[in-house]
Amino acid sequence: MSPYTESIVLQVGINVLLALGYWIAVSTGKYSFGHAAFMCIGAYTASILTLNFGWSLPVAMLASAVTAAAAGALIGWMALRLSLLYLAIITFVFAQLVEVLISEWDYVGGASGMVGMTGTTVPLVLTCIAIVVVYLVLLTRSRLGLAYAAIREDEQAAMASGLRITLIAVGAFATSAAVTGIAGALAAHQLMIITPSLFGPQQALLIILYCVFGGVQYFWGAALGAIVLSLLPIYFDWLSDWYMIVYGLLFVALMVVRPQGLIGRSRGGRGRPLLYWQRWVAHPQREGETVG
Amino acid sequence: MADPLLRLSGVRKRFQGVEALGDIDLSVAEGTIHGIVGPNGAGKTTLLNVVSGYVLPDSGRVELAGRDITRLTPQARVPLGVVRTFQNIRLYGGLSVLENILIGQHSRAHTGLLSLLPFRTASDRRLREEAREALDMFELTPYRRRRAAELPYGLQKQLEMARALAARPKVLLLDEPAAGMTADGRAALVPRVRELRDHGISVVIVEHDMDVIAKVCDHVTVLNFGRKLIEGVPDEVLASDEVRTAYLGT
Repeated sequence: MSPYTESIVLQVGINVLLALGYWIAVSTGKYSFGHAAFMCIGAYTASILTLNFGWSLPVAMLASAVTAAAAGALIGWMALRLSLLYLAIITFVFAQLVEVLISEWDYVGGASGMVGMTGTTVPLVLTCIAIVVVYLVLLTRSRLGLAYAAIREDEQAAMASGLRITLIAVGAFATSAAVTGIAGALAAHQLMIITPSLFGPQQALLIILYCVFGGVQYFWGAALGAIVLSLLPIYFDWLSDWYMIVYGLLFVALMVVRPQGLIGRSRGGRGRPLLYWQRWVAHPQREGETVG
Repeated sequence: MADPLLRLSGVRKRFQGVEALGDIDLSVAEGTIHGIVGPNGAGKTTLLNVVSGYVLPDSGRVELAGRDITRLTPQARVPLGVVRTFQNIRLYGGLSVLENILIGQHSRAHTGLLSLLPFRTASDRRLREEAREALDMFELTPYRRRRAAELPYGLQKQLEMARALAARPKVLLLDEPAAGMTADGRAALVPRVRELRDHGISVVIVEHDMDVIAKVCDHVTVLNFGRKLIEGVPDEVLASDEVRTAYLGT
């Protein structure tokens, strides 16, 4: 594998991890606008441990997962009992706070960041993705996954079914943060240099877009969204200055035509995922059909 | 009379100065069907919300089998046996019919990380078998893979009741189960609710349909402006001139 291909695979792989991690929170219907903060916490935790303490990257990644999960649980506990608007505000402000605090922290280089981390390899990234995918497959088949879906569908009904909503949602948020933290650790050790500004609002927005673009209904929709949105800027770099405009238009068009993302069923329709095109091509009249 | 399973004493609730419930006492014996009737705004649904924990009373006490549950959250009451349905159906519309029932079993199942194991435990297999039986009982088996939102209204009502029963309630709170149902649907409701009683479940039913109330209830309480107007056996209560003329309009 050429270094160029390898760097693309690493970049796409890390973005897939970010999307999968974010999907765990979204599967409970909770949208965070500050997941870049968990990425940042994971990146800095692992970088401190590998650079300053000589830890191996895989072990440092575990520590990243723990610190990011702890931060996720704390923020989740504060924000998940409030409305979605407050969750959005609190997570956004949290991300700003993390960025500012790290910029002021001399031990980690302040605004100049940290330099010299290495060790992210394709097998390591693919192993992480495989572990997370296995977890998500088991999750979506489990009663815990059903509980996540119930909370996303209707919290009042979920309470009537005996679900301890805050506990379950905080658990999901912490798990989501842990995966995002691991992705942050991998990103830091691929980029070799990290600064707090790498984990700003733009990164937070990208993570959301991966999920929304691919579709939030199934985790592989989020993964597909990450792959497509990561590759677009690489293969369409000939658009140069027009790139962001085309990117934006593409996104608007998708939201108009398929608000549920690339993968996923529309709320009013029925049918199987991935075969949605059949409904448009072969049986377009069935789109939006309901019974009753 | 034996101690009631559910007892409300001196329950009061005001919303922005308006009295929704004023000094309500209510007892529901085990294995009985208790109807709550009254005109719109009488406080029926507020009463159900207080019993199910969705609304905390300003004062008063709610007891289940002698245990004070007044301050418990709705989700903490479910494992104790207090389960409800909603006036406006609340299903997990994007999930399948079977999944709705499986979620109804939440308080009885292992739902933590252990539920992620790739094999099913014996207790989980038993619960899933029970869910399939519930589908049969409510004639939902042909729709088990359909999304709940796609079901016709009557079947959605049935599914909501099936989901509530999946939690194995001691007291089932039904908020207007006949509302919007066809005549056939209402007729089918009566034996179904009686069957619940035969299984030892106490039912508190808020309903506008007096025919349903008269047919299924062992005991009826009439509310008006948040106060208890009269209570007793359905025939006597519903035949009382005061109730008929002032509150039921029949």
